[in-house]
Amino acid sequence: MSLFDWIGHFPELQRHAIVEAVETASLGKVRHALRLLKELSPEQRGRPFTIELLSTYNLEPILPPIELALSCIPSQAQLQLAPLNDIEGHVTRNSVAQACDGRVIIWRVEELLPEALYPFSNGFPEQLSTRTEEVVSRVHRLVKLHEAHTPATPLFLSTIALPVHFSNPLFASQHAAALCGAVAHINRAIYDIATQRSGVYVFDICRWAALEGKLHADALLDFVARQPLSGRGQVAFALFLARCLRPLLIPARKVLAVDLDDTLWGGVVGEDGLENLKLGHDFPGNVHLRIQRELLELRNRGILLVLLSKNNEADARQPFDSLPDMLLKWEDFALHKVNWKPKHENLREAAQELGLGLDSFVFVDDSDYEREQMRQLIPEVLILNSSSDPLHILNCLWTTDAFDSLTITEEDRRRHDDYRVRADRDVRAHGNDLEEFLRSLQMEATIEELGPANMERAVAMIGKTNQFNLTTKRHSRAQVQAILSAPGSIGLALRLRDKFGDQGIVAILVAMRSTQDGTLVVDSFLVSCRALGRGVEDALWAALVERANEAGIHKVFAEYLPTPKNGIVANLYDRFGLQRLEHNPSSTRYVLEKIEVQPPPGWIHLTKNKKGNAKQ
Amino acid sequence: MQSSDSLRELLIEFFDLPGSTPVEEITQPAISKWDSLAMVQLITELQNRFTIEFDLEEIQALRSYQEIRDTLARKGVLSV
Repeated sequence: MSLFDWIGHFPELQRHAIVEAVETASLGKVRHALRLLKELSPEQRGRPFTIELLSTYNLEPILPPIELALSCIPSQAQLQLAPLNDIEGHVTRNSVAQACDGRVIIWRVEELLPEALYPFSNGFPEQLSTRTEEVVSRVHRLVKLHEAHTPATPLFLSTIALPVHFSNPLFASQHAAALCGAVAHINRAIYDIATQRSGVYVFDICRWAALEGKLHADALLDFVARQPLSGRGQVAFALFLARCLRPLLIPARKVLAVDLDDTLWGGVVGEDGLENLKLGHDFPGNVHLRIQRELLELRNRGILLVLLSKNNEADARQPFDSLPDMLLKWEDFALHKVNWKPKHENLREAAQELGLGLDSFVFVDDSDYEREQMRQLIPEVLILNSSSDPLHILNCLWTTDAFDSLTITEEDRRRHDDYRVRADRDVRAHGNDLEEFLRSLQMEATIEELGPANMERAVAMIGKTNQFNLTTKRHSRAQVQAILSAPGSIGLALRLRDKFGDQGIVAILVAMRSTQDGTLVVDSFLVSCRALGRGVEDALWAALVERANEAGIHKVFAEYLPTPKNGIVANLYDRFGLQRLEHNPSSTRYVLEKIEVQPPPGWIHLTKNKKGNAKQ
Repeated sequence: MQSSDSLRELLIEFFDLPGSTPVEEITQPAISKWDSLAMVQLITELQNRFTIEFDLEEIQALRSYQEIRDTLARKGVLSV
């Protein structure tokens, strides 16, 4: 993490005092830095930030380093320490009156489940397992209490670190009810709670301890004051806590602007030539490959990638087109600024085109010159690396807090595609016709039989699709299964991949075979709104007709049941060439008598039954 | 090895005392802030600054500049 980036805007005097306090871990220097920070104006110090700490052990001695770390976020940090080991009591007493910005619960095995330290004196395994379950219940109860009394306050639950000091350590890992298993079980419950409940987050002490625990343990201080951390440990712990709470105040940056040569690969493509670039599974190409993996992961979680390279575009594209180990694709970048203009100009343009502030940008470049120029000309941009060494760049990507956020939403994950689609729509507006655009999406469809593997998604779509839905029958899972269990019934799902990735199942078709005359009746036909206008309905209909043909079916009946929302498909079956049998305001019935297999649209490449998700 | 002057500075900074405070006045009874919490923090501070670990007996002998100086000298981390 980069404390120095956090405190960059503080005056030199304060910055120096903070760095000295952190480096020496001296309480005197921590207090000195805090005093200097309080001399700054409220604007310089940041927003007021009140954090309540509730702990099973004594945090009082380490409040100054915690206050300093939170002040560096920056914030006007105010700490409220609840009485020692009285978590539930405090949560119950302290309701809305004492509003704070976050509540942190910090606990450890020594108080939460001391029996686990001495399993054979405490009824191992049955009794100890029961006690572990009681702790899990306690965690659940505490969350409910918090939500009942202070629902608006973000709650951070610490995980449980393995104790540094305990005997019989080998056996502790050999049984699920022993210490290590018990700790893992409680932690699992804590992760589950954070997954399920909004407003509850994990302060992962367990992860911190795995990295730094033993180094910072002080048994003497624990016995003297029930406070287990050494001086340096206190500062490290405080900074770790501050990083975890920081997203409450500081939004994550949204864009990573990255250089090409000597970053995504080793070497300079325009100089060294494609064949001499270093990228692959051997050293040092594997470092660059790993950098690409990190960037791809950032992209996939919602950080936009922007290419900033001084290159001829043709040269820059070459590795993307023909270097076999390239992981990133040209399209993974939301914008490409490949030209000979100064990078700060390109970055300003990128900010404008994306509609984002300059302070949303992070910049990576191996060139000292480029980084320095960016630093001077656009100070809002965060410069990630400080040397040209690829391993250093990789390390910066691993440790940066620039993209820290406590939740990553579906929207975040789609962000890149949204920006790409937006760019493509622009292309489409300028392009010649719709078909060319659809072809450019490189769509690949797979027709799957409805079965256990895709049933959940199918039922979900049946339950919520409104626009492209011919009959809007809201079947339950059991109803769908009942239809499909009838002999001759056909249930199909269309899975779509395009150049943006796997779009998942986007269309469903369910048809029932009549037991009397052997005709086929279409029960449900729907397409997700994400895939409208791409022609997937044509491909799925073609698949149904093909199957009907193979089964020797001579007639397919279908109907359109109008709703306020599904006007988009009022004439779908007319377009498919079915004959109208009946038409009235509440339904239109169709029949297809001459079963001819229609080829699917030319812009969708059909892969047949790639996975055998056959009915069971 | 650090000098006893550096210990004096440490204590003056730690308890936020006037720079001119004579060492004889740096004692637990004379400094109201020197409560049990401060004692714990002081132990932490000394262990950190001198890269040492106290034993149980030694932490009983940290109640004044004089005592701390002698304890640190015995541990061989302070020149007197």
